[in-house]
Amino acid sequence: MARGTSEVSEPMFFVLTALLGGPLHGHAISKSIQDLSGGRVRPSVGTLYGILERLHERGVIVVDREETVNGRNRRYFRITDDGQALVEAEARRMQQAASLVLRPTTGGAHATALA
Amino acid sequence: MTALDQRTRHAPTKLERRYRLLLLAYPRRYRHSHGDELLDVLMESARPGRAVPEAREVAGLVAGGMRARVMALSSGSAWAGGVHLGVTAVSAANLAALLPYAGTIPLWVALSALSLLTILRGRVRLSLPLVLLTGVKAVSLAGGWPVLGLTLLPVYPSFLTREPLFATGNPIATASVYALTLLGLVALSARSEPAGRRSWWWWAVVPLLAWAGPAWMSDDALYPLSLSRVVAEFAVLGLAVIGGHLARDPRWGIAAAIYFLSVSTQFCAHLYLDEMALSEQHLAYWAALAVLTIAASLTSQGQRSRLTMLR
Repeated sequence: MARGTSEVSEPMFFVLTALLGGPLHGHAISKSIQDLSGGRVRPSVGTLYGILERLHERGVIVVDREETVNGRNRRYFRITDDGQALVEAEARRMQQAASLVLRPTTGGAHATALA
Repeated sequence: MTALDQRTRHAPTKLERRYRLLLLAYPRRYRHSHGDELLDVLMESARPGRAVPEAREVAGLVAGGMRARVMALSSGSAWAGGVHLGVTAVSAANLAALLPYAGTIPLWVALSALSLLTILRGRVRLSLPLVLLTGVKAVSLAGGWPVLGLTLLPVYPSFLTREPLFATGNPIATASVYALTLLGLVALSARSEPAGRRSWWWWAVVPLLAWAGPAWMSDDALYPLSLSRVVAEFAVLGLAVIGGHLARDPRWGIAAAIYFLSVSTQFCAHLYLDEMALSEQHLAYWAALAVLTIAASLTSQGQRSRLTMLR
């Protein structure tokens, strides 16, 4: 079970989430993050590659393959089992945190208590 | 042929040239391996017709480049890297102490510069006799003893300062700094792995440490510290704090501690041997160095080890 999930920053979380669908290259990851976050999270290219290098160092993503496009190298990144466990643990942690605030009120007791 | 291909392969646009310039923030090896990949993403992300990089991309590339440089410097043994870095800083200060007197004692200044060069290139065994020789001569000049040839005292400067050599120094303070350097070099020499190479930028620090201006302390201060030296030291220690924070690596704290130890040793020698009263400015300077050194050590703790637990 992964621990210390509070150390996953929001852009990191979205990078890992984007890679759950399969290997992607840098620009595709960037676009996917923007789509997943509704345009709210938009890391710069330098920041994105910093995150990718950090996740790669930690072994939560690996380079799946390299392709040459327009004479330039392009790395495709893939999430590892550790990475999948990490992002799932982080999602559960956020779900638990959200449930503290968004739990359905029963019989108006909560509302009464607040009144 | 795609629009990107036309934009980037055949006619480099202003935007591409500017991004290439910004990519210089990254270490050469990283640029060689991934520079084109980053450029590709930057160009694909840019709005058509744009000639000036977005501010957030500029900030991201500068910060990313700095982090990549720090990470490149953070490979190998942390303690050996820290000792090497600390010894480099102290050697730069040793050369700075002699540099203004190059007109009178050119051989010893050249030898000190050669010491720094060998340390920068990672040739620590070769640097040992050079540092020893320079140290013996420096201590003899500070003590007024004729060792390794006669030198007319006082030694007057040619540039950068008006004070004669070691006018406010004492042989114990000078000996302790060289002893610290030698100790670090002996420890590094005992290792089988070679020490890495250090940045050429260390040469730029030397004249800043040597320059006696702009005026900051009163003219009658017994151990004057120049503003250029203070700023240079704070800047280098500030970089150590950033390095420790980005890499979560203790080498930056170790290096800062070695430099702080060399400065503190000199302060103690002046305080107890010369019975010199330190001014409030001296104490503020020393306290600021202490805070930066502690910060460089503390910022290296934490996140890297916590992130390792994620695996």
